[in-house]
Amino acid sequence: MVGAFEFAPAIALLPLAAFVVALLFGDYLPKKGAYAGILATAGSLALSLWMLVAVFGGEAYNEELYDWAIGEEITFHFGILIDPLSALMLVIVSLVALLVHVFSMGYMNDEGETGLRRYYAELGLFTFSMLAFVMADNLLMAFIFFELVGLCSYLLIGFWFRTRSAPSAAKKAFLVTRFGDYFFLLGVVAIGATFGTLSFAGDASFVDAAAGAIDAGETFHGFSAETWVTILGLLVLGGVIGKSAQFPLHTWLPDAMEGPTTVSALIHAATMVAAGVYLVARMFGFYALSPTALAIIAFVGAFTALFAATMGVVKDDIKQVLAYSTISQYGYMMLGLGVGGYVAGVFHLMNHAFFKALLFLGAGAVIILMHHEQDMWKMGGLKDKAPVTYYTFLAGALALAGIIPFSGFWSKDEILFDAIILGLEEPIFLVAYAMGLLAVFFTGFYTFRMVFLTFHGEPRTDAARDPHPLGWNVKAPLAVLGVLALVAGVANLAPVAKLTGVDIVFLEHWLDGEYGAVDGLLYSEYTATAGLETAYIAGSETITLIAAGVLALGLALGGAGLAYVLYNVPEPKAHTENLGQAREVLRSNYYQDEFQVWLATGVTLPLARAADRFDGSVIDGVVNGVSSVSLFGSGGMKRLQTGVVTNYAALIVLGFVALLVFFGVYGGWFV
Amino acid sequence: MTVGIEYYVLLSAALFCIGLFGVLTRRNALMFLMSVELMLNAANINLIAFAFYHGNLTGQVFALFTMALAAAEVAVGLGIILVLYRNFRDVDVTVPSAMRW
Amino acid sequence: MMIETLIAVALIGALVTFLAPNRIAGKLAFAISLIPAALSLWMFTAFDGSGNALLEGSTLAFESQMEWIQLGEYTISWFVGLDGISLPLVVLTTVLTSLAIMSSWTPIDDRESQFYGLVLFIEANLIGVFVALDFFLWFIFWEAVLIPMYLLIGIWGGPRRKYAAIKFFIYTNVASLVMFGAFIALVFGLGDAVSSFALPEITAAMHDGGPGAFAGVSGTTLMSFAFVAMFLGFAVKVPVVPFHTWLPDAHVEAPTPASVLLAGVLLKMGTYALLRFNFTMFPTDVIEPFVIPIAAIAVISVIYGAMLALAQTDLKRIVAYSSVSSMGYVILGLIAFTQFGIGGATFQMVSHGLISGLMFMAVGVIYNATHTRMVTDMSGMADKMPIAVGILIAGAFGYMGLPLMSGFAAEYFIFFGAFDSTMLEYAPIFTALAMFGIVIVAGYLLFAMQRTLFGPYRLETDYEVGRAPLHDVAPMFVLLGLIIALGVAPELIFEMITDAVDPILAGGDF
Repeated sequence: MVGAFEFAPAIALLPLAAFVVALLFGDYLPKKGAYAGILATAGSLALSLWMLVAVFGGEAYNEELYDWAIGEEITFHFGILIDPLSALMLVIVSLVALLVHVFSMGYMNDEGETGLRRYYAELGLFTFSMLAFVMADNLLMAFIFFELVGLCSYLLIGFWFRTRSAPSAAKKAFLVTRFGDYFFLLGVVAIGATFGTLSFAGDASFVDAAAGAIDAGETFHGFSAETWVTILGLLVLGGVIGKSAQFPLHTWLPDAMEGPTTVSALIHAATMVAAGVYLVARMFGFYALSPTALAIIAFVGAFTALFAATMGVVKDDIKQVLAYSTISQYGYMMLGLGVGGYVAGVFHLMNHAFFKALLFLGAGAVIILMHHEQDMWKMGGLKDKAPVTYYTFLAGALALAGIIPFSGFWSKDEILFDAIILGLEEPIFLVAYAMGLLAVFFTGFYTFRMVFLTFHGEPRTDAARDPHPLGWNVKAPLAVLGVLALVAGVANLAPVAKLTGVDIVFLEHWLDGEYGAVDGLLYSEYTATAGLETAYIAGSETITLIAAGVLALGLALGGAGLAYVLYNVPEPKAHTENLGQAREVLRSNYYQDEFQVWLATGVTLPLARAADRFDGSVIDGVVNGVSSVSLFGSGGMKRLQTGVVTNYAALIVLGFVALLVFFGVYGGWFV
Repeated sequence: MTVGIEYYVLLSAALFCIGLFGVLTRRNALMFLMSVELMLNAANINLIAFAFYHGNLTGQVFALFTMALAAAEVAVGLGIILVLYRNFRDVDVTVPSAMRW
Repeated sequence: MMIETLIAVALIGALVTFLAPNRIAGKLAFAISLIPAALSLWMFTAFDGSGNALLEGSTLAFESQMEWIQLGEYTISWFVGLDGISLPLVVLTTVLTSLAIMSSWTPIDDRESQFYGLVLFIEANLIGVFVALDFFLWFIFWEAVLIPMYLLIGIWGGPRRKYAAIKFFIYTNVASLVMFGAFIALVFGLGDAVSSFALPEITAAMHDGGPGAFAGVSGTTLMSFAFVAMFLGFAVKVPVVPFHTWLPDAHVEAPTPASVLLAGVLLKMGTYALLRFNFTMFPTDVIEPFVIPIAAIAVISVIYGAMLALAQTDLKRIVAYSSVSSMGYVILGLIAFTQFGIGGATFQMVSHGLISGLMFMAVGVIYNATHTRMVTDMSGMADKMPIAVGILIAGAFGYMGLPLMSGFAAEYFIFFGAFDSTMLEYAPIFTALAMFGIVIVAGYLLFAMQRTLFGPYRLETDYEVGRAPLHDVAPMFVLLGLIIALGVAPELIFEMITDAVDPILAGGDF
């Protein structure tokens, strides 16, 4: 059947075409290739929506399209897997990409940036990589585009390469994620070698093979199948931790704010960082086989959520606050997935993509308004001068803080609910829950600290008194995302559904194969595989639900309220002094950067220099030593060559006599 | 009564050793040449003595050849010595040492 | 006669170029080098061989054989042919030579006719190494490669060129001697089982009983000794740690095109010979005791080479040491002894040839403009030479194993093959250790790029640093195209490689 899915490859290939066009002809195109990118991403969005409709119509797609390398035991291929999850993600990615392209015209073109050809080409390549990653039907293809996404982030973060900081941040981003990808690649290799397949779904998927191996009680390399699956899962998780900026590989993300703000919106909020969490969701069936791996995911996520939220509290740069909130929010998603809340995690992934893109683009708008000033202490009072920016930004902030009824509330609440019901059965998860809950308070605080400092109070600088005007291409994307931040929560109103009994958990049905689906990639199947036991407070789901919801909302409002008290004044003062010792620790991000820089320049580099000295002195020393010995030896030998004929004659005679004696003794003449 | 072959050999060995001694100790190129002549003649004595001893003429013919060779050698040798003298104002063989390291 | 034509064109071209006036030598050599390149590409499309050239049951492409010398009871013949392993390397050689010639138009301004003549002479011998199937013939080509390379480094090189050239020559020549002695001992040990130096015949005899006692040493011991000696001999050429110290010296002093050929093709001679001799000719039970040590050497080469690269400040030295690292992967792939391992190793030979060639060219182009290769001297080059720098970045990412470039395919195959190895004990651990190289390589290349290419422009010159001319940039574009093509579609050559690798794994009886 010639259906929607025949066009699936075009979703990724259109931005690739935009990349080629912008790279080759960008300088000659109007807007330096922006239109090519907008057309391509709009096309991708249209096709993605078509995929969504097709999946809604009960279809799904899992096809191998191209054999990359053919071997005897395993053939590596490229293929496309369109199921509810990937169809949803395709729409998110292409939508955000389209809006970012539009916004870029206002942020980059109108601001007279140079190197726009490069910018749009890299943006196209990035969109291509991300879309192809989302569509990947096997782990190798996922890794390939995962890495390409990393390359694009390197290029885009380092866009302003003439500065010192941007190239350094770009390098750090690539290197830190590369460290994670090392484990990922090892995981890909190991999974391929162990199970002979890398497909996510279908008859020959590595998930099925792993489940079969566990059932059959096989052993691999001296480990039981369960342990081995856990090891493999954790190896892949290394890549996730790197890309999704989880502790301890989160350090690159705040630095990555060196890139243009549009890039931050595209890469570091809505899509690239999402790649890690998306990967966990993509192969959730595999993680479901290993309770240990799930628990580690949950704890990494919960810890990161809290850890990053505390650092966000003391930042002065508007983009830095957003950066730490991103890390923190991805921690929530990991927590959700780790406690078996597949739907909750994906739900938050979706909501976060919208409201974080909104916040970053809003921050971009603020930066335009402020004539490229990012320090929040130099802003203030923008509320009245830029109402569109203010209200959309506020919508994003409310969603981020998790205030009812904005989208973030619903998904975050669901994650915390999933965590607490698991924690009530297995108390260790209560620790993770507590960390997640505490982070809610900090989130509410730093979010509204940012809003109040930026938009409320009196303007604190000339730039804030006389903001730069904004064009339609800035406002339109903000409006679209603002609406989405408000209403996206409707997709899965789980608490309402449970309280009222109305069936409005659309996303859960969507991910559970109510419409189109690929076998084995269903929410209910994951739940069955993981087999996590849950319990409720006083045995009642309703009480637990209300208690958890009220607690989370209360903390979020508490945080926001504290920010209101401290910062919603005409002349806000820095209150960080009150933190005492903790202030320096937080400002220095718990010295994580110092630690990693020390690892690079304090450990690795001296080690490399020592190796170099060893190489030069010992190994090459031996080589040169051999030549010195032979030179020295021949230096001694050549002294025989005196140039005096008499000596030669004497040597000849001596040699002759010696020979005579030798043969004499040997031949027995003297007996 | 004929002289025993061993005396010829002894004579020739003595002559050879005198020549050799000359080659090893003298620095004057002319003395060198003379010493070489002595050694050649020692060989000649051997050749003739053994020819006599075996009763054929091969050795004597060889001795004639050797004399001719010695004459040629002297001619070349003197030529070299002349060149040496011209270049170094001396016939000391240790002076020209360009052929060494 | 195709192969003969290939070699003959290069040889005659070398002679013609040698006699041509300096003014036109570069263009002439390039024009001549296009003939073998085109010819080998045609051979690539017309390739009809199957199996492994050394093992029975194979069909060689473009085979030709004629008796040459009768040496006692041994026949030496002109015996050439191609299989799936050698053909990609021949194409690599011819294409890289053409591009290297073009890239020398700018930097070489002295005794051009001799320079280009020597480059073509190297090409002829390199092709010979990859096509020869008779040991004597092969050895002649093998040794003959050294002479022109010695001259290229010694005459057109940098300030310490004499030291580097002599070190290169003596080191590799002594290694050849060790290998040669071992091989001859092996042939004598085989005794009546062989009557020629044809490699297929010797291979068959090795698999069919192996050598008898020779010089008071039993046949099995002889094979083990020969294996080790030949491994050491080839290891110098590869080079693996600890026999690598000639390489950075040679690279730093060599002119750009010589570096391109040295890293691109000459290093592959070593790994090619390892594959042909050590891992094809010897039965697996001879190899087995040495698997762990060789794998350890491979891992050490990868990690140690990368660490050395990290400590360098000379761009060429960085690339040179990273070649040591990359060649370590090849050794790991070979010793894994799996389809993806050996296939990936062969793929890596081609891929590394292209990528290191590209890197040396790019560094050379920057050197042409700045007259320095020191990381510490430069800053912000991207401002002045956007295209050359863009290609350098692409090449660097290729070196880091960025997916959809050939380096990733090669490394991925090797890692997969190594992990999957049954012959290598603790294969996952060795793989994991070697794989860490991909992090270090990213580290040093990114650091170097950040400091030289980005940031504010700073370079003290008394002239304007401008963009590179087209003929400097064009060869790099060609290489980049090939790298991406092989990365997107590795099957282009991987199919014929696996076809030639499978018989090796089957242990000769195929």
